[in-house]
Amino acid sequence: MLTVGFDTLALGSSNSTFKKLMAEDFVNGTQLNPFVTISAEGEVTIMAHVPELGQGISQGIPAIIAEELGVTMHQVTIVKASASQQYGRQSIGGSRSVRSLFTPMRQLGASTKDVLVQAAANKWNIDPSACEVKEGVVYRKGTKDSLPYGELVEDAAKLELPKNPSLMDKKDFKIIGKATHRPDLAGKVNGSADYGIDAQTEGLLYATIERCPTLQGVVTSYDADAAKAVKGVVEVMEVTRTVYGKKNTGIAVIAENYYAATEGRKKLNVQWDNAEFKNISTESMNADMIKLAQGEGMKHFEKGDFEGNKGKKGIGGSVKVKSVGYSLPHMAHSCMEPMNATVHVREDNTVEVWAPSQSPQVQRQFAKELGIPDNEAEDKIKVHLPYLGGGFGRRSMNDSLEECFQISKSMRKPIKLIWSREDDTLQGPFRQISHHRMTMSLNSGDRIGMQHKMVSPAITTQGRSSNGRVPFEVMEAINTHYDFDDISVRYAEYKNQIPIHWWRSVFGSTNAFPHESFIDEIALELKKDPLQFRKEKLKSEPRFVKVLERLEKESDWNEKLSANEGKGVAIVESFGSIVAHAVFLKRENGKVTIPRVVSVVDCGIYVNSDQVIAQTEGNIIFGLTATLKDAITFKDGAAQQANFDTYRMLRINEAPRDIQVHLIDNDEAPGGVGEPGLPPIAPALTNAVFNLSEKRIRTLPFDLQDI
Amino acid sequence: MATYKLNINSKEYTIEAEPQTPLLWAIRDEARLTGTKYGCGIAQCGACTVHLNGNPVRSCSLPVSAIVGQEITTIEGLSDDNSHPVQKAWLEVQAPQCGYCQSGQIMSASALLDKNPKPSDEDIDQAMAGNICRCGTYHRIRKAIHVASKEISDGSK
Repeated sequence: MLTVGFDTLALGSSNSTFKKLMAEDFVNGTQLNPFVTISAEGEVTIMAHVPELGQGISQGIPAIIAEELGVTMHQVTIVKASASQQYGRQSIGGSRSVRSLFTPMRQLGASTKDVLVQAAANKWNIDPSACEVKEGVVYRKGTKDSLPYGELVEDAAKLELPKNPSLMDKKDFKIIGKATHRPDLAGKVNGSADYGIDAQTEGLLYATIERCPTLQGVVTSYDADAAKAVKGVVEVMEVTRTVYGKKNTGIAVIAENYYAATEGRKKLNVQWDNAEFKNISTESMNADMIKLAQGEGMKHFEKGDFEGNKGKKGIGGSVKVKSVGYSLPHMAHSCMEPMNATVHVREDNTVEVWAPSQSPQVQRQFAKELGIPDNEAEDKIKVHLPYLGGGFGRRSMNDSLEECFQISKSMRKPIKLIWSREDDTLQGPFRQISHHRMTMSLNSGDRIGMQHKMVSPAITTQGRSSNGRVPFEVMEAINTHYDFDDISVRYAEYKNQIPIHWWRSVFGSTNAFPHESFIDEIALELKKDPLQFRKEKLKSEPRFVKVLERLEKESDWNEKLSANEGKGVAIVESFGSIVAHAVFLKRENGKVTIPRVVSVVDCGIYVNSDQVIAQTEGNIIFGLTATLKDAITFKDGAAQQANFDTYRMLRINEAPRDIQVHLIDNDEAPGGVGEPGLPPIAPALTNAVFNLSEKRIRTLPFDLQDI
Repeated sequence: MATYKLNINSKEYTIEAEPQTPLLWAIRDEARLTGTKYGCGIAQCGACTVHLNGNPVRSCSLPVSAIVGQEITTIEGLSDDNSHPVQKAWLEVQAPQCGYCQSGQIMSASALLDKNPKPSDEDIDQAMAGNICRCGTYHRIRKAIHVASKEISDGSK
């Protein structure tokens, strides 16, 4: 199994008659469909069309095709595709790739196998049902006759792919469900993997952009001459990027090398009019949200009658009502590869793009800007799809491509735009801020009521009205399956100017913390073990119970801990999967550490078990950073954290040394994997903090050494 | 602009650059060795880690003029065929996810193992704490270092 990487240097040219060679141009053999090509020698090439940002999908989707095609991964060469409509939709997010493509890609593999089998059956003049396939060879059942795919592919290419091929039984899977090595990793241990920031082409110029600290301020003046006086600087120009309908203006400095561009940028002395944003601060936002939480909110889910029964005494004559607030801040995505783009708009209106994007099919958008008709967009605009150095939702916005395109369109030169780490951290768009008002009503008649009132801006209603409806994305990961008598889940929309965007697990990353913490608060009021309480109250949901039982066993949950240890649990369903974590804490020599995290994942049928484990390990670390490190805070309208010194990431010395991820085996439809491991980590940790120290954490982030 | 001769991976590169140009950009854009990555520019993340005379350094924070005459090793210089014990271990445990930080991680780890072939977990914490991985592969990086350590010490028996 190989992946083919291409030297991007060889692909670009300023000569407009140069045929722009794309990954597809190097594939050898006869194409049976846009995804599968087989050579006469039997080499099977499968295109990896979904952007690879670390989740292993460049191996995952080809593995699904290979399984039904009847070949081994050793026979397959995976080639990273370019962006093209021939592959259908290539945008990626919402832990959606396997969920949405599992069946279509199986069908594609199976129908491709069917035409190869039909070609063999035609040669032997028999019915295809008298044939069987093993490792890329068609056999005539009951005989020694065989024909390898390489000898059938030309005939097979003349046949039409059947629409409803029969699919394999899960029990016959040889690739799906196994731990398979990722071919892209070979280039990721020797520096040869091509990321967007590595794009090279003849005559490349480098750009950096000075940006407004309050994001949407207005440029009043800048000193282009001073920047141009820096040796190597060739141009200075205004550019804009569109963030949910708002234009953010910046001043681009374009130079022969990146250092000259950054030196020129320092001389710009840009003056901004920020007056409109002066009063925005994190404090004012939190105060506004707390006020909104006092209102009724929009109804999302109601069971029983929470408001009616709140505070009603039960048999025995007592009731406890408790309301508390939970808060989570803005966050930056902080992909290790900062935002960047490389674009070459040539004099003749043909374009070459290197798009480190979760949504790379930019041809039509750029065609519109250049007056190219839609039906010529793919011929004239070629889009390379490099590896992404992280995405986490940030790269589903193509603002850096938009900026780079403007510069190149104006200069008609190849431009590489690199955002500095400071730009990347300060400029957003950010993970949403939120406030949660949680209320319980527990009476002596065993009546349990719980209300979760969530206040936050919504992503999909930025720049427009929500029209009294709860936006679809905001209630992710709020578990209404708990068998309580009265449940109420409500939402109040908070509109403000800070742009927000999809951030790994999105509202799962903010909703699960208050929700699963409050489940613990209720369990503790009722003097129940938090894990047993969840099992009991989720009885009607067998998948949840199985996950909890497995976690109980794998984590040795019921073993007594010493006085300097603590444990916490949380279980969350998000993006079609259920994940529970148990977090263990230890206080030693005055220092608190997280020695162990045990995790159980039910994501239904999975493609590559090792990648499910890897994504869950990654989610645990990503979630711990959000829980324990720094918030993005605003003062006078501007973010206050700029780089990894003030916006810190969890490091190896702080990471749990023992992380165990266990997978549930079942026949459920595939769920997401890239995000569902994140939501339960914060509440599992803070529940463990309570268990260790009796301190209830209700505001993130917090310092583990302060407990 | 001045002309500098840089010794990278035992090969001499002649480059034109301003004296204060960070070594990182000379390596990436002049020598065109793009395995070394830009992550923060202030020596906080370690994505730009290379070896300078065998020691791990952050190439984003070293001016090119200060490097002349010294031996630079980048990720591309570790082996021709992924055969360095650290690369092999990284593949064995499937450590990378997005992979962007891994050149720096591998350069820090290989420098550690050169000096200390049998590092403890505390040694690993100390040597690797300067390298951020946003995907969260720390667990596998630790495992891979132990795997590489075993191969190195088995090989030297």
